[in-house]
Amino acid sequence: MDYMIEAIDLTKKFDDLTAVDGLNIKIRKGEVFGFLGPNGAGKTTSIRMMVGLLKPTSGTILIDGKDIKQTEKGKIGICPQELMLWEHLTCKESLSLMADMYEVPKDVKNQRIDGLLKDLFLTDKADTVVSNLSGGMKRRLNLALSVVHEPDVVVLDEPSEGLDPQSRRVLWNYIRSMRDVQGKTVILTTHLMDEADSLSDRIGIVDHGKLIRLDTPENLKKEIGEGDIVDIKLSDPSKNLELITELEKIEDIISVVETDSRINIRALDAVSKLPQIMKLVEESDLRVDDLSVRQNTLEDVFIDLTGTGLRE
Amino acid sequence: MKFISIAVKDFKELVRDKRGLFFILLFPIFFMMIFGFAFGGMGQENTPHNIAIVNYDEGATILTGENFNFGNNLTNQIKESTYSNSDVKLFNVTETTESQADSLLKQRTVDAELIIPSNFSASMASQIANSSGLTANINSTVSSPIIRGDEGYSNFFASESALSTVMTGYQSGIVNGFKNQLAGTPGAEPVKYVNITVQGISGTQSFTQFDFLAPGMMVFAILLLATTIAAILTREVESGTLERLKMSKMRSFDLLFGGLIPWSLVAGAQVVILLIVAVLLGLHWQGGINSVILATIIGIIGGVASIALAMIIASFAKNDRQAANLGTLIVVPISFLVGAFFPLPQVFITVLGHSFQIYELIPWTHTLNALRGVLLYGEGLNAVAFQIELSLILTVILFIIGVFLYSRTRLRADN
Repeated sequence: MDYMIEAIDLTKKFDDLTAVDGLNIKIRKGEVFGFLGPNGAGKTTSIRMMVGLLKPTSGTILIDGKDIKQTEKGKIGICPQELMLWEHLTCKESLSLMADMYEVPKDVKNQRIDGLLKDLFLTDKADTVVSNLSGGMKRRLNLALSVVHEPDVVVLDEPSEGLDPQSRRVLWNYIRSMRDVQGKTVILTTHLMDEADSLSDRIGIVDHGKLIRLDTPENLKKEIGEGDIVDIKLSDPSKNLELITELEKIEDIISVVETDSRINIRALDAVSKLPQIMKLVEESDLRVDDLSVRQNTLEDVFIDLTGTGLRE
Repeated sequence: MKFISIAVKDFKELVRDKRGLFFILLFPIFFMMIFGFAFGGMGQENTPHNIAIVNYDEGATILTGENFNFGNNLTNQIKESTYSNSDVKLFNVTETTESQADSLLKQRTVDAELIIPSNFSASMASQIANSSGLTANINSTVSSPIIRGDEGYSNFFASESALSTVMTGYQSGIVNGFKNQLAGTPGAEPVKYVNITVQGISGTQSFTQFDFLAPGMMVFAILLLATTIAAILTREVESGTLERLKMSKMRSFDLLFGGLIPWSLVAGAQVVILLIVAVLLGLHWQGGINSVILATIIGIIGGVASIALAMIIASFAKNDRQAANLGTLIVVPISFLVGAFFPLPQVFITVLGHSFQIYELIPWTHTLNALRGVLLYGEGLNAVAFQIELSLILTVILFIIGVFLYSRTRLRADN
């Protein structure tokens, strides 16, 4: 298997805080790799080291088999979480500047810029000064600027942050086309589970600077548990624990957890378990405010692995 | 040629940032206009001195037997005096009482007060009699007219010296006049053995204080440029665009040299624009079109020094507002130190046996000296070459420090 990026025992310490702790990760060529983790888990720090913007405290990074120090600068394109734009330049001028900085040949430059503006629905705004663009347009330009030199690896740090659903669609389609049409390796950090689920070929979940799981979204969902989730909200949430103890006694139930004052019961063919569950509720003399059955999502996996505690 | 793309980018940013442009162009023009109105004399080189005259003279009987009041006569003479080759009056006279004159003096409504004593006519009569050799039956009377004023006020000295000149002329004129009248022939002029000529430096005869301030304003504007550039450089860090550039194939050289081109051209443009404004306000500019070219080059060198200063500021400032504040805090004192507003007392330091002024260590001091030489005295390249060389050497040193600090703090991968 050909790997595009290999991080070996990557560690980063800031004073007494270990942001990244012995991270080992291999990213394949031509895949979309989702990097998931709660806020402050070390995602951005890892990414910044992998693209050479931050010096690791220890560890090695190989890009396409070579040490990162010997890697040519145009090989990676990073689309940062924050907007990094020149407020007084137009979209076209910004793209042209970055193309020049990456030594894009003059004969392909204009064609490529026009293509990018079209793909990201910015053609109408080509000659508009950045300060006059809307938030969504700025985000799309932010991405265009990172890929104008057609890098082999594209790193997207929380690209959907603050985007409306329309802009997000445009972005997702563009990310898929980068992989499928242009054959690029894409690394994506996000905490939007649907984004990671629908875009990524593989997902790495990090927490406290460590990689805790790496697999395809399907396998991850299976690993945590196949089947569906019965989500119950009791009128009196203080009785949750009492009911959970009872529910755990039902046969073929995989797990029962409390999240956000609700009870999540995971089971194969959960619908067939519903009569049993309702019977238990009635016997315990409890009232149900809300009940739904849904498929197991990546979010359930994420919460299961990283817990529900706030990280900010 | 990545530095050209950077230069084009920086130029566009500079021109489109209206606030920054206002600060580096309109602000110095505004200052120039204030100084022009305050110190320029606005095209009228000869203005009358405001004086008050208090006349206590009681008159005296002169040789012809008539009673004559020399005090009134002198007052009229003073009122009638004009600048040489001009019909502008030398004095603007207020005749009043002594107490009123004193209060006018304190308000600086008048620059000087002339008090003619009661025995002024008597003393004049004595002098006429004396010089005519008719002393036998006349008592010698000596009178002491007083010129009173605020000795800490420059206008007083100008008025006082003009008054003294007129009075001395009046005295000898009157005496000679009467002598000739009595003798019936004009007397011979006394032979002069010492003939002192006062000579102004070429072109300075009509200089006003504004002429010295105008080049200072240009240097002030060039220094202000450092504030704006520091803000631009810091904004590049703050907005993350520097990070974007660092990831590309751009080298530090491209970034810094690319910035140098448009910014130093702005410094040259500042000199030209401010020169035009200053000339319109009455600057006595000498030297013609060559002096403009030379001044522009001097301005550009000064501009490079400002860019170096901006890099140093941007190495420490956390955001563009801080850069602008820190910049102002540094730039304004430097403007005073280089003598942009008024000359400072001399402070010498001695290093390795060579003694020099401490201000000469600042590159813009030489920018200012060179600009004054070129624009006010019409000096050519040869005359100001030494100043230009010094400003170049000091600018190079400052630039090396700037590049070193900025590269270290802003252009390396973060630790």
